[in-house]
Amino acid sequence: MKKLVFITFLCIAQIAISQNYKFGKVSEEELLEKTNPDYPEANATVLYKKQQISFEYIQGKGFIQKNEIQERIKIYNKEGFDYATRLVRLYDGSSSYGESLNGLKAVTYNLDGGKIIEDKLKKDGIFEEETNKNWKTSKFTMPNIKEGCVIEFEYTIESQLSGIDDIEFQELIPIRKLEIKLKTPEYYVYKTFLNPRASYIPVLNNSKENRTITFSNKERTTTNRVSSTQNYTSTRDYIDNVVEANLSNIPPLKTESYVDNLSNYQAKLIVELERIQYPGESIEYLSTSWEKVTKTIYDYPEFGDQLNKKGYYNSDVDAILTGITDPQQKAAIIFNYVKSKVKWNEYHGYTTDAGVSKAYKEGVGNVADINLMLTSMLRYAGLNANPVLVSTKSNGIPLIPTRTGFNYVICALETSDSAILLDATQKFSTADILPTKALNWLGRLIRQDGSSDWIELIPKISSRESVSLNIKLNSDLSANGKVRNQFTNYQAFRVRDRFENYNTDEMIESLEKGKGELEISNFEIENMNDVSQPVTQSYDYVFNNAMEDIGGKLYLTPMLFLAPDENPFKENVRNYPIDYVYPIADKYMINIMLPDGYAIETMPESVKYQFNISDGEFTYLARQNGNMLQFTISLDLNKTLVLPSDYEQYKKFYQLMIEKQTEKVVLKKI
Amino acid sequence: MRTRFLLLLWFVIVSLPVMAQDEKLFQSYTIPSDLKENANAIIRLEDTHIDVKAYNKMVYTNKRIVTILNSSGDSKHGAYMGYDKNTNIKKLEVKIYNSRGDEIKKIKKGDFEDVSAVDGGTLYSDSRVKYLNYTPTDYPYTVLFETEVEYTSTAFLPGWRPIEGFYTSSQNVNYKIINNSGIEIKIKTSNFDEYQIEKYSDFHYSAKNLLAIKPESYSPPFNSFAPDLKASLTEFDMEGVKGVNNNWADFGKWMNDKLIRDTQILPQQVRDEIRSLTANAKTNLEKAKIVYEYMQNKTRYISVQVGIGGWKPMLASDVDRLGYGDCKGLTNYTKAMLDEIGVENFYTVIYGGRDVRHIDDSFSSVQGNHVILCVPNESDYLWLECTSQTSPFGYNANFTDDRDALIITPEGGKIVHTKVYSTEENLLTSNAVIVLDEQGNIKADIITKSYGTQYGQHEGIQNQTEKDQKLYFKKYWSYINALDISSVTYNNDKDKIEFTETFNVAAERYAAKTGDRLLLQPNLFNRLENAPNRYSNRKLPFEIDRGFTDIDSYEINIPSSLEVEALMEPISIKNKFGEYEASLTKTDGNKLIYKRKFIIHKGNYPKEEYENYRAFNLEVVKHDKSKIVLKSKS
Repeated sequence: MKKLVFITFLCIAQIAISQNYKFGKVSEEELLEKTNPDYPEANATVLYKKQQISFEYIQGKGFIQKNEIQERIKIYNKEGFDYATRLVRLYDGSSSYGESLNGLKAVTYNLDGGKIIEDKLKKDGIFEEETNKNWKTSKFTMPNIKEGCVIEFEYTIESQLSGIDDIEFQELIPIRKLEIKLKTPEYYVYKTFLNPRASYIPVLNNSKENRTITFSNKERTTTNRVSSTQNYTSTRDYIDNVVEANLSNIPPLKTESYVDNLSNYQAKLIVELERIQYPGESIEYLSTSWEKVTKTIYDYPEFGDQLNKKGYYNSDVDAILTGITDPQQKAAIIFNYVKSKVKWNEYHGYTTDAGVSKAYKEGVGNVADINLMLTSMLRYAGLNANPVLVSTKSNGIPLIPTRTGFNYVICALETSDSAILLDATQKFSTADILPTKALNWLGRLIRQDGSSDWIELIPKISSRESVSLNIKLNSDLSANGKVRNQFTNYQAFRVRDRFENYNTDEMIESLEKGKGELEISNFEIENMNDVSQPVTQSYDYVFNNAMEDIGGKLYLTPMLFLAPDENPFKENVRNYPIDYVYPIADKYMINIMLPDGYAIETMPESVKYQFNISDGEFTYLARQNGNMLQFTISLDLNKTLVLPSDYEQYKKFYQLMIEKQTEKVVLKKI
Repeated sequence: MRTRFLLLLWFVIVSLPVMAQDEKLFQSYTIPSDLKENANAIIRLEDTHIDVKAYNKMVYTNKRIVTILNSSGDSKHGAYMGYDKNTNIKKLEVKIYNSRGDEIKKIKKGDFEDVSAVDGGTLYSDSRVKYLNYTPTDYPYTVLFETEVEYTSTAFLPGWRPIEGFYTSSQNVNYKIINNSGIEIKIKTSNFDEYQIEKYSDFHYSAKNLLAIKPESYSPPFNSFAPDLKASLTEFDMEGVKGVNNNWADFGKWMNDKLIRDTQILPQQVRDEIRSLTANAKTNLEKAKIVYEYMQNKTRYISVQVGIGGWKPMLASDVDRLGYGDCKGLTNYTKAMLDEIGVENFYTVIYGGRDVRHIDDSFSSVQGNHVILCVPNESDYLWLECTSQTSPFGYNANFTDDRDALIITPEGGKIVHTKVYSTEENLLTSNAVIVLDEQGNIKADIITKSYGTQYGQHEGIQNQTEKDQKLYFKKYWSYINALDISSVTYNNDKDKIEFTETFNVAAERYAAKTGDRLLLQPNLFNRLENAPNRYSNRKLPFEIDRGFTDIDSYEINIPSSLEVEALMEPISIKNKFGEYEASLTKTDGNKLIYKRKFIIHKGNYPKEEYENYRAFNLEVVKHDKSKIVLKSKS
């Protein structure tokens, strides 16, 4: 027994030793592997990845960041061929801060009759693209890629920037072995955080290493009228702070629909420069805490100073506010003025691009140009307005105090009892109606004195769609009547955005699309451009074959062509939450007039379904009054996020709702 | 002196009214209202001048004034210019005017964005584009774009589209070629008669007040009904290579001699390998199949566009060494191998895409966007898509089928038509056995087989992850609310080009309870759910580009405690568009047999027929949704 255990141990040890991760030492076993035994669906696996980020002092340049990457990837099948092409984006903004990719070496390995064949990547597989004025892209694609091959490459990115990109521990394919080492000089103090929303949590080790910089200086001295040049060398010792991870068998990141942003759930190390501390110099704090981050941003000339400039607009604002005393009216006038005066150039950012005065003059600016200008004007009018730093959904949720955690800025107008959020970059935005990308959890409000606080961004007020549907049933199985819809808040925003450039015919076509024998006439839509009012839409319709005649009885869905036809939630389980962005309240009021000579045989029952007590509620009320039927059907979703643990229950709730919404009324002849 | 003065005077007189005219065009409110209908942008003026100076030199001058009415029209300003090393952009300038016609911004050449012109599917290309990145401050606004470009490549002589595309009207557009090269220029115009286009000479045209066209579903491709002019030099230059083009024969010969022939040398080892692999194959077709599969296993598709206009293939030996190439490289590599073993084959230039687009058989010029390989087979041809590593041998449905293509033979170019996939060939069959219980729950085993174009629509799913496959089928049968797919297996028979899917599914409450009855829809697994859109005033003709046949048969077992209260009437419709048959019969005891056949033919129809086609579809939708009522026997 003892012997057996020993032998097993030996075998395991043997396997562990047989993997050699040195570049070029690809084994036959790796080439023979047909699928990943732990993740059989994987099209490829990172067999080994080593990444080391370190800083080298170069005299005359300072610290240079070196990001060394070595990777060995197994490709199982044709779907995995994409991993044989690699794109590396390099910053190319200015000559002194440009990044470069060096030392690229790459080999493809194939097994041919028991022999390992190597194909080196040559010049003709490497491409340098000047992508645009700030970025270039190094691209390479590996030679001789076949099912089962292994590829290996290494390169170093050198950069004079002190910012460090997120270090990713997880990819869309599994990683068998990952070695990460981050070495930063003591003068640059970085803060590191693991993404707490990831389901895979790596173990990190912290340590210190001694380093030495050697400076060489030339000095020219003159003694007794004889000049001579002497070479001096001096050294300075310093410490590197080291973060290391040695990981194995990392599961792939799962993809899913209706996810706000997949990288929010990726295992990664977020690295942010917290302070710069050269010996003998004062410490430059950048991001030790949220207060500090906010203050740092506030002190940028492209932020705080922009709020204080007034000279470029004061006479114009004075003119439009002449005779206005009501603060709310003042706010509305300024908001609309900024919207009409300056248009968004589709660039994000919390710092100004053109600068507020230029943006005002040219009528174009980025998010900060527009919303800092708005804040400044509101303040000028005596209102309590402050900028709010926001991270858009694609930028991820701001979890730790970092400056890159934010990428957007809006304005909060504080009144006596509440704060109203404003964003003047969008044509159809209004008070508390912002582009949905900005509604990401919490924003950081910065007051005039530099103090700051969190402010909630997720809307509290429901966005409604109210529908009144009148139906007159006819004995030829058709129905006709009138529909009136009203959309408020975000539902109105959505309708305005979608139909902005549609004419009446196109709106009718989009309503009729996929609805069978529906013909719409007398279509009207109101308040498309008046964002202070709900959007209302009304039309007459004729709907042929609204009822089905089966064996002399007529079957009918009360919601007619407005009934949903499928449950959008089809997955059995979810890994990430469903994001609804804003609370929803939908209500249908339906009045049906029965055809002559028919009476009710079966009427659907009234019901009420709830999800998580009051997070979601569906009610269905059916009433009969002579030859008139009345239905009131409503859905309220009060929570904007459905958690994975609640998903199964939520799917069921939705399914029952759809069954009810499509339930039939049965009519019989009298 | 006198002449010079006169000239100057003439210039002043002539140019003054022109300037006044332009100023009027910069104002948005001067647009006639019919030009605004269905338009997001209006081309107020466009003057295109092409000055051909020699076979390898031309100057393109363009001045356009575009008024943009709303944000959907922003891209219509057209202020961009592609370039490469054979292009010299001499002038590139934009001025922007507000609706009153005041100049509000001026953008010089240096202020244009300059980016690499790679599209999504291309890894690298040496062509670039300069484009205008402008944020409009208000609508409408007007853009004046002036450009002058010198080309040393004349292979792509700019043509003319008086109506640029959907939602765009043209107030005054002009096109003129000045030819001082002494080389003949060929012109072909299409659909000019249907529109008011003035012809001053073969090389000079003008059109006024062309109304905007709105897209309508099932309409044929835009260039099949919109006016279009193609121009081509009979002697041209493609990046330093001189070409001839009097007809397809000599153009094809030029391609063969100058672009393809010297790229086909294979390493000895590959030649030996191919010879030995095909040594025992009896027919040319068998040999071609071995070579095609050899290529599929050895290569992958990577698009790198450098060198002669993106028209010269990579060397076959490089494709062999690197194991990748684009459509030209992979096709040429396959060609080199087939040549090696003496199987006749032709490099083929074609327009690839879901929409059918032809190489113009009556007008030779640089056309096409894709390359495939043609293998003659008795009186017919076989078409090999070399960019796919998984396609069955000779399968070209949905992308290069049913269109005119240019084959390059050693004697020259020739236009031939690619394979047409017939209505009968594009078959989908579904057979199922269904068990229903008293609560309306179902369990079912389904087998579907697809062929022809439908093979291509079904086959791709097998490469997805299991989770995505199940999700896909839940969406495919989205009308079954609580569908659960317990298993799905596939059999991809590439020799027969037949794809079989076998499912095991269940759905709770499939048959809806209404009072004490169950409502059952006997067409469970192949429903036409939507009919084409209604147009109150359809303007465009319509086209069904590929026919198909669906044949379904379902055996439904109902519980013995239930009986059928009402059965559906059999239905049979036949018209010029297709056929539809559906029936439900009761066999022994508790078995119902549902049979369905749905056929749509390929065809082109005038707009008046559209409503009839829609009515036919609505009829099918209705019958596919037919229900029967089951009630308790007791």
